[in-house]
Amino acid sequence: MLTKKRIMALILAIGLLTVMLFASGTKEVAKDNVKVEEKTTITVLDYMDATAPGYEETQKIWQKFMDENPNITIVKEDLTNEAFHQKMASYIAAGKIPDLMYMYPSGRSSILQENHMVKDLEVLLGDEFLKSFLPAALNVENQSGNYLAMLPQAVTYSSVVYVNTKVLRDNGLEIPTTYADMVAMGPKLKAKGIQTVLMANKDDWVMQSCLFSTVAGRFVNKEWIDKAKLGEVKFTDEEFVSALRFVDKMYKDDVLSRKTIQLSYGEVPGLFASGKAAFLIDGDWRQNAFVTDPASKEALISPLSQQEDIALISFPAIEGETYPGVVSSTSGCGYGISTEVSDGSYKESACKKLVEYLYSVEVQKQFLEIGKYITSRTDVKSDKLEPLTLKLIEFYKEVKGTCYVLDSALDPSVYTVINKVLQEIGIGSKTPEVAALEIQKAMDIYLLSKK
Amino acid sequence: MKYNKLRSQRVAYRWMVIPSLVIYLFVMAFPIVLSLIISLSNFSGGKFFNGNPWHIVGVQQFVKLFQDSSFWHATRNNIYLVFISVFGQLPLGIFLAYIIYRKIVKFGPFWQGILYLPAIISVIVIGIMWNLIFSPYGPIAEVVNKEYYKNYNSKLVKVMESSFNEDGKLIITNQLVQNIIKINPKSVEEKYENPELGLIGVLESIKDEEKEMVLSDLSNLFSPVWSADFLSKDIVSMLPILFVTLWCWTGTYLILFLANMQKINSETIESAQIDGAKESAILIHIILPEISGTLVNAAVLCISGSFNSFAMIYAMTGGGPARLTQVLSIYMYEKAFVGVPNYPLANAISIMMVLFSLVLVFLTSICNKRLKGENNE
Repeated sequence: MLTKKRIMALILAIGLLTVMLFASGTKEVAKDNVKVEEKTTITVLDYMDATAPGYEETQKIWQKFMDENPNITIVKEDLTNEAFHQKMASYIAAGKIPDLMYMYPSGRSSILQENHMVKDLEVLLGDEFLKSFLPAALNVENQSGNYLAMLPQAVTYSSVVYVNTKVLRDNGLEIPTTYADMVAMGPKLKAKGIQTVLMANKDDWVMQSCLFSTVAGRFVNKEWIDKAKLGEVKFTDEEFVSALRFVDKMYKDDVLSRKTIQLSYGEVPGLFASGKAAFLIDGDWRQNAFVTDPASKEALISPLSQQEDIALISFPAIEGETYPGVVSSTSGCGYGISTEVSDGSYKESACKKLVEYLYSVEVQKQFLEIGKYITSRTDVKSDKLEPLTLKLIEFYKEVKGTCYVLDSALDPSVYTVINKVLQEIGIGSKTPEVAALEIQKAMDIYLLSKK
Repeated sequence: MKYNKLRSQRVAYRWMVIPSLVIYLFVMAFPIVLSLIISLSNFSGGKFFNGNPWHIVGVQQFVKLFQDSSFWHATRNNIYLVFISVFGQLPLGIFLAYIIYRKIVKFGPFWQGILYLPAIISVIVIGIMWNLIFSPYGPIAEVVNKEYYKNYNSKLVKVMESSFNEDGKLIITNQLVQNIIKINPKSVEEKYENPELGLIGVLESIKDEEKEMVLSDLSNLFSPVWSADFLSKDIVSMLPILFVTLWCWTGTYLILFLANMQKINSETIESAQIDGAKESAILIHIILPEISGTLVNAAVLCISGSFNSFAMIYAMTGGGPARLTQVLSIYMYEKAFVGVPNYPLANAISIMMVLFSLVLVFLTSICNKRLKGENNE
């Protein structure tokens, strides 16, 4: 018998069923040449530090695209540092990568590149669009997949020495040209309670990326590393061990304090800005931490101080180096599009539109002005750049030569060992010679796995 | 009649248990079985990687694991965590719960809240906070080094009282050099092969500075320095993590034990007091036996929690430096997601974590049975 309650329950069930059937949204079907209003959703995984200057401006840039393209919904995840890498790895393991994602030229994004999980942007974007970019950025040999899997936003120098010239001036010191100069200034700086060199070595990649890659490049060049990857030379050879010994020497000379092993990445900009050290060794991306945040209008180092009190140099000359003046560099990061996005689909055209927008002159100029990076577009100019960003552009011009950033050139199974042994050298628990043996062992295992 | 009633009860029981059992099998049991299968296979990620089909290859991952010193190092660190949890958190939790329960301290509810507070803060926030506290530029280092500096400076002032001429410039003598070295010989000997010559060199370089500057420079150079870099040593690297673990979770067990103590019949305790029992006797002979069941359950929670521990340690040290504070969960995470993924190895580690937990829980259960047996006698 149908009671009132049962009738109500039936009506509710039918209502819910109806809602569920239509919950997938509407798609108007083209009839008689009427233009179809297609809608699509793009999932994005982006590398963004919400605490870094320029975050709000960057969010506005993304929002503007969404406002101008109401048919394109962007579902965006912003993560940074290890959280980003682990999320990306989780997506890959789950077999469902985002439609658009922030990528590295190799290293952490090798899986995406080498398994062709992202589209070839050279084909998708075309020559007309790409002609405005630096040839170095478009060089596919810099990407582990050997195709344009992602479009580099910049060319990155992973090793820059930020100099607090005020600290040097106040103590009657000059910018060093050799490592010996750095050692000599140590006691004078220490007498004033100032550390010589600051680095955030708690994260194990920092020493390898931001210092050791350059030091190694001074002793062994790119060709040597390429030969090591083929097993033709060994990491236990004297040239490479010399580079490890130099890092050990930096700790023993107290140029680099063993305290830096306890310093996390987020602590260091504030310490350097407050004059705790004469030098900071970090990547070129770090200048972003010091310039004015457009949202808060505050800068860790004021523009005036950037002009008067900060200089950027490459690591000073090392006694016995074979390739003087080289600095580790790699294609910068950029965005790639998943191959899961069907060719010729509306979603693909939406992703292409988004990429062209993010790499447009207007947006790249904004990124340049907020100090995010030095763009790989050749046709971007601005008169609003802060002194530190201008100094970085000058630094790029002055670099004599480049060498590999080891985590972009070597397999993860090898560079993770390099990261670990460099920390062990730093805490004094491993000698350079034993460290070299461990690295070579990892390379031998890798070479065996490739046979 | 009786048989039908029993039968219908059994049927009802089965129907009520089946949904939970199904959920348990899918959520808990199936992943463990799958993890075991993957650990015995050569699974490399399926079609998203090299596309090779996978099959069972045997115990080679376990053999690899047992030969890896990092595995044993991580296991050792987990044992430390188990130790601090079972023999630190639980006794401390009982003691704090007892003194609040017996009103030995005033404002019991206030202390309850304060002690429980760390348990409700995100472990990531706790990890980052303590990371900054233990930083070489953190508050502990700042406070301790200021004290060291002040102490050294005051001794230096006494030693150098008569070492400045009328113009305020430093007069360097052998006696002065010896006296300065005596304040803190270690710091001078560490810096210079020949301490006297080294110190004379320093004094020569600063002799034209103002008196205050000279004292400041020497204090900066030679006063003792406290830094957390001792935590980079293998033996002590886990200490901050153990401390924070104790600080973070003791409050949870305090609440657990306090709730159970409040169920104890107060007349029992009053009778004991009338008989002249002291607080320690009340704790040992009345309270502990009453809460023994809870204690065993808490120990099981401690053991499983210690082996699962990941977020706080990852936020605090990342397992570093140089893997010194790595625990099994971080080691497993690294093998699965950092660098080249090795899923069979990562699953082998997780199986070992389950086995270690089961062994320890089994031992706890044996201890509990023996203690109960002794009590019954």
